[in-house]
Amino acid sequence: MIKITDLEKYYRTEEVETIALNKLSIEVKEGEFVAVMGPSGCGKSTLLNILGLLDDPDGGSFVFNGIEVAGFNERKRADLRKKNIGFVFQSFNLIDELTVFENVELPLIYNNVKAADRKKRVEEVLDNLKIMHRRNHYPQQLSGGQQQRVAVARAVVNNPKLILADEPTGNLDSSNGNEVMQLLTELNEKGTTIVMVTHSEHDARYSHRIIRMLDGHSVTENILI
Amino acid sequence: MFLHYLKVAFRNIRKQKMYAAINVGGFAIGIAACLLIALFIQHETSYDSANPNRHHIFRLVGEAKQNGQVHSGIAFPAPMSKAILNDFPEVEKAGRIMSNSLFGAANNQVRRPDQQNNTYEQGFAFADTSTLEILDIKMIYGSRTEALKQPFSVILNKSMADKYFPNQNPVGQRLIFNDNPRLPIIVGGVMEDFPTNSHLQYRGFISLAGVSFWDNEQSQWTASNYDIYLQLKPNTNIASFEKKMTDDVVDKYMVPAMVAGGQKNAKESFKDTRIYLQPLSDIHLYSYNIEQDDTRHGDIRFVYLFAAIAAFILLLACINFLNLSTARSANRAKEVGVRKVMGGSRNNLINQFLSESLLYSFLSFLTGTAIAVLALPLFNKVSGLYLSMPWKEWWLIPALIGGALVIGLLAGIYPAFYLSYFKPINTLKGNLSLGSKNGRLRSSLVVFQFSISVVLLIGTAVIYKQMQYILNSKIGFDKDQVLMIEGADALKEQTTSFKNEVLNLPVVKNVSVSDFLPVNDTKRNGNTFWEEGKQQDDGFALQHWVVDENYIPTLGMKLIAGRNFSKDFHTDSSTAVVNKALADKLGIKDPIGKIITNGGEHLRIIGVVDNFYFESMKQQVTPLCMVLGNSNSIVSIKIKGADMKTALATIEAKWKAFLPNQPMRYTFLDERYAAMYIDVQRMQYIFTGFSILAVVVACLGLFALAAFMAEQRTKEIGIRKVLGASVAGVFTLLTKNFLKLVGLSLIISIPVGWWLMNQWLQDFSYRISLNWKIFAFASLLMMTIALFTICFQAIKAAIANPVKSLRTE
Repeated sequence: MIKITDLEKYYRTEEVETIALNKLSIEVKEGEFVAVMGPSGCGKSTLLNILGLLDDPDGGSFVFNGIEVAGFNERKRADLRKKNIGFVFQSFNLIDELTVFENVELPLIYNNVKAADRKKRVEEVLDNLKIMHRRNHYPQQLSGGQQQRVAVARAVVNNPKLILADEPTGNLDSSNGNEVMQLLTELNEKGTTIVMVTHSEHDARYSHRIIRMLDGHSVTENILI
Repeated sequence: MFLHYLKVAFRNIRKQKMYAAINVGGFAIGIAACLLIALFIQHETSYDSANPNRHHIFRLVGEAKQNGQVHSGIAFPAPMSKAILNDFPEVEKAGRIMSNSLFGAANNQVRRPDQQNNTYEQGFAFADTSTLEILDIKMIYGSRTEALKQPFSVILNKSMADKYFPNQNPVGQRLIFNDNPRLPIIVGGVMEDFPTNSHLQYRGFISLAGVSFWDNEQSQWTASNYDIYLQLKPNTNIASFEKKMTDDVVDKYMVPAMVAGGQKNAKESFKDTRIYLQPLSDIHLYSYNIEQDDTRHGDIRFVYLFAAIAAFILLLACINFLNLSTARSANRAKEVGVRKVMGGSRNNLINQFLSESLLYSFLSFLTGTAIAVLALPLFNKVSGLYLSMPWKEWWLIPALIGGALVIGLLAGIYPAFYLSYFKPINTLKGNLSLGSKNGRLRSSLVVFQFSISVVLLIGTAVIYKQMQYILNSKIGFDKDQVLMIEGADALKEQTTSFKNEVLNLPVVKNVSVSDFLPVNDTKRNGNTFWEEGKQQDDGFALQHWVVDENYIPTLGMKLIAGRNFSKDFHTDSSTAVVNKALADKLGIKDPIGKIITNGGEHLRIIGVVDNFYFESMKQQVTPLCMVLGNSNSIVSIKIKGADMKTALATIEAKWKAFLPNQPMRYTFLDERYAAMYIDVQRMQYIFTGFSILAVVVACLGLFALAAFMAEQRTKEIGIRKVLGASVAGVFTLLTKNFLKLVGLSLIISIPVGWWLMNQWLQDFSYRISLNWKIFAFASLLMMTIALFTICFQAIKAAIANPVKSLRTE
């Protein structure tokens, strides 16, 4: 599903050039659950941004679903993104002015799904994730764990092929964190490919494979299953 | 999708109540100002638009150069309209209006033959039947072509007809004018009242048929008392017609008449004369430089000025919206990021932010319309108009909606593009401090806002000072405590005994009888006089005022040479007291004993009074002489002491004893004097009002911006305080930059204000000089207001506990 080869990304300021990704090559197969680990500044987040089509690489190749996407313009990337990828963030990133229901509904609105279908799909997802009773609450009325649950619901409502999770348990206590990891595992079991960046060895153990990064390239891979 | 946008916009408004209130409030004020001014402009430009032939109807205006100055007037000789009609086939109709109060137009004492009491009625004019047709006068009773056919017939307007002949057709009924039962006036017809947007507001037309105000008046080319209206055939070339007409009138009629009257270089004196056609629809707005035009006119310059001010206030409100939206962009950055990640395109986001600004705009239009409706009575009072909201017009609602769309898009387009540009990877981790970006644009806009406000403040200060100068400067006579009784000609031969009895009242200091007073709507004239022994061609226009020997002391004028008239000198009937302007004109150091003449009258100068203003201060004081004589419709009474109420009661009792059937009609000289400057006063009020609005809108923006900046810098302030910064230091930190901006706007706006107000003052022959105090005052005021606006936020931030602000990080 994902095949990146010799991927490069630089950050330039006037004085310094920082290499974030240095000829990185990784492959993720459909249905896999991959964890990316490494110290701060090793390029994990940059990798996730490029995989999420939020950022463009400076060199190398990125084939997504058989299509070369490196060099795609913003509009094309956005189009591909909204149809195929769901995101879960460390800081949840729910929109404060929208209710639980409306937050989950948002990707469907941007995908031009009809209102009746939207309602059905959102309710289905909320039901699955057991937050139906909170549907009319605003994010600030929920606990952290509940908020991340909503974020997961939002990530999956559009049935994406790929979910990218950026330290999904970073802001949660361990019991809430475990619940979220459980959710991701269940999604993976139903066929969704997941790439997760994490600092936590505990969380990483939920995945099939751990990619360890240092200074912009992958150093080792542990295959767990 | 759109509903989704609206929902989010509403929730944002609810969450950020202060910002929403400032945005909507500022917009609403701007919109209210625009609505009121739009109503004003719509009214001003609608004058005389009902006349179906308006494109072919013109008023004649004469233009002549005197000493390099251009003078325009609309009074022409009696036979001129007929002459033009006969001489030019292009002229379809020609008609005259004569409104000179000397000859029984303008105002009259009116009663029905069966009534005892006279009523003072204003608004009469003599008119030809053809004038009624040109002006498309609509008749209620009687026929337009017949109503003025008979001499001494009158057409009343509906409200006057209803007053004297309620619920009946009064055609053929009689009215007594000015207590003259030997000459009853016959009602020939009733016309509809002139609409408020007609440049003419007459209430009655008296027939010119068979009228001759003196011997051969109707054929005399040397006296000008008639306004002339022409209806031309379609497709007439106006420019060439004007030229032909001027040549014809001057060469064929005016010059021969002058030559016959003894003037030698008559031809030469018409060298720069031009008669032009003023289109009917231009009369209201383009007559501000025509002298002696007794109808009240608008002024196109006011229309432009008001339009500019309204546009500026609205612009200030738009700037507030733009500044606040971009300043607060950090608060929306995360949302933009999330939406983009969830699949929102940039267009989606632009649409969303535009919907939001449109929502603000619509809310503001609702509020603004409400404010305009509430403020309309006040605006009417100040502007002297009778405007109303055109609720019944089909275009009102579409116009308001269209306006809301335009304003919403105008104010929202930049923030929408700016906000939607954010990249999600920059915003989602919250490592973006966007508030301080765009600082330069925001600063320039704040400078712009305050520059406009300061210019308006300077304008207000200058107009106020000029008005104070007009009202309080040495005007050459004492306008205070003088009661003017009008309509005193009804006393007839009892005038002198009334005067003497009033003079004997203990509350009265002095009494004078004269129709000539140094305020508007009293008698004026102007005949050519010259110094005896010189040529008529050296003559000059002279005001020839008929007064009595109490006139100078009653009005507190100052004799600077010679003496006042006196009963002890029986030769005083052929003497004159002149003003300084006349003495200057003659160019003689000691004019006492010199004789001036108009060919018939020979007047020996016995005294000189200091110049006094008898026209508006917009004009130079012109030569004037006073002669002893009978001119008895106004009695001026100088009151002793301050108890005007008692004085008035005593005088009124005296009046009643003399004229039980005619109520005493009076005004005060100082009020009449102030009324001469009503347009300046209105300008002052309107300018003050709009300046306040502009400052309020600009300060609303500054207040919110200061609040936002303080919020943005909470952490910085916390760290500074922990490191030992004092409250005063933090306060300075937060206010310094804003005050710099206000200072910059002062530097920009003072030269602009100086230039604009200097232009305005050129209108006045007598004016204040612009000194630094006015600018210092405006600057200090602006600085104080700005400081006051931001200091609330600055103090709040400065005294906040640093521990709190740092802990939230």
